[in-house]
Amino acid sequence: MTTLHRPAAPTAYGSARLLAGATHGVRADLAAHRAVHGAQQHRTRATLVEETGAVRLLGRGGAAFPVSTKLAGMPTGSSVEVVVNGSESEPASRKDRTLMTLVPHLVVDGALVVARALRTRRVTIAVHDTAAHASLTLALEERRGSEPHPERVSVRLQPARFVSGEVRAVLRGLDGRPAVPPGHRVLPTRHGLGGAPTFASNVETFAQIAVLVSLGARRYAEVGDRAEPGTTLVTLLGDVPAPGVAEVPTGLPLDALLPAAGGPVLVGGYHGHWVADARGLRVTRPSLREAGVPLNAGVVARLPESGCALAEVAAVAGWLARQSAGQCGPCLFGTAAVARDVSTLLYGRPAPDVSARLHGLVRRGACAHPDGTAAFVASALTTMTAELDAHVDRGGCGRPYLAVLPLDDGVR
Amino acid sequence: MRIEVDWTRCDGHGLCALLLAENLGSDPDGYPVVHDTAVARDSVRHARRAVAACPALALRLVRD
Ligand code: SF4
Ligand code: SF4
Repeated sequence: MTTLHRPAAPTAYGSARLLAGATHGVRADLAAHRAVHGAQQHRTRATLVEETGAVRLLGRGGAAFPVSTKLAGMPTGSSVEVVVNGSESEPASRKDRTLMTLVPHLVVDGALVVARALRTRRVTIAVHDTAAHASLTLALEERRGSEPHPERVSVRLQPARFVSGEVRAVLRGLDGRPAVPPGHRVLPTRHGLGGAPTFASNVETFAQIAVLVSLGARRYAEVGDRAEPGTTLVTLLGDVPAPGVAEVPTGLPLDALLPAAGGPVLVGGYHGHWVADARGLRVTRPSLREAGVPLNAGVVARLPESGCALAEVAAVAGWLARQSAGQCGPCLFGTAAVARDVSTLLYGRPAPDVSARLHGLVRRGACAHPDGTAAFVASALTTMTAELDAHVDRGGCGRPYLAVLPLDDGVR
Repeated sequence: MRIEVDWTRCDGHGLCALLLAENLGSDPDGYPVVHDTAVARDSVRHARRAVAACPALALRLVRD
């Protein structure tokens, strides 16, 4: 028997959908999956466009693009590729790995729904950790006997790297080229895997599609906020009551996931934004975007007051600089210079050029990495004024670096 | 017309900033700073020259 790595059990606020039956941290095999979600269903493209539009389903990676629009713009036919992007390359995020390891059949169901709607048999699931790979491979084996399907689903292990999470980089990696984004604008929907029109989206997007066709649009939208109905996955870390992956109904006040008081809050992960507290923020992609703190891939952290917040920022800034793929000068030099500036501030010395350097990262790369790095650092510096003062006035805040924000996910 | 930089190709020679000063500046490392992507009609000639002069073939002039 294949032994599978077990992630920490996820939490559900309200009733779990994606993670129904898996909140004890036990992987749902095919029988368990069917007992919860019913038989595999299919939709025509027109119906799927309609249903994803009715529930305003947004991509669950970073870009939050409307799924309905993307589906409607796709050609159909046997050359079309469907790519499930499971290369969750940010160490703080665990939601996609949790889905792939605990409910792999939900992800496969969703991918097959999209493939059938687009009249293609070509499905690729790109992953970058061995546990997800093992779970999905086992899932396909389980289906081979009892539920054969005509689609060819290949699960491909890709090297772990931050920019590789970017879908165009993933597609290039799958094509056997260096997994870095191209320098010019290409739309995967026109020119994707092997040059074919490609519907590529994040793992959670496909899992949501599977839940949507299983429940139907009306029942799907009975939970959550009207602007983005249903549930969403977040990864919570730091000083929070239940660290780890959680499934929450959209519209939930972010405060409900955090302790009453504490240090600064990070929304949207390492390309996200810092805020002093989460008051007034609700967990929907549209409302968080409007508030200037996009949810991105769903990482939310609250730093404990017992640790040095600036040290956490400096550590992540250094990590972000090391993740630059080094192909674009302003990103390579700019992220390194910004990381050095943050360290300088940490040691209580002034870094007069930091604002100009942060500005120099905006829209000056082939991917969103420099922009995301700038957002993370700039929002930290405006949010953590008390911490900065302590470091500048006294050379430090006297609190230890607790390494709350992980820099390495230990992926093998 | 719009001017686009392929950041994966640009080597920071800084030449383009001299030839298309209306749209481009340079940062301390010599990489272009795009003040404005929209190229005015009067500047199209300058833009073409900058595109042709870029040793890294990193500049493109595209129709909007
Ligand atoms: S912007 Fe940075 S991370 Fe993105 S492709 Fe260019 S060098 Fe790589
Ligand atoms: S001339 Fe070309 S290589 Fe030189 S800075 Fe301009 S775009 Fe970059």
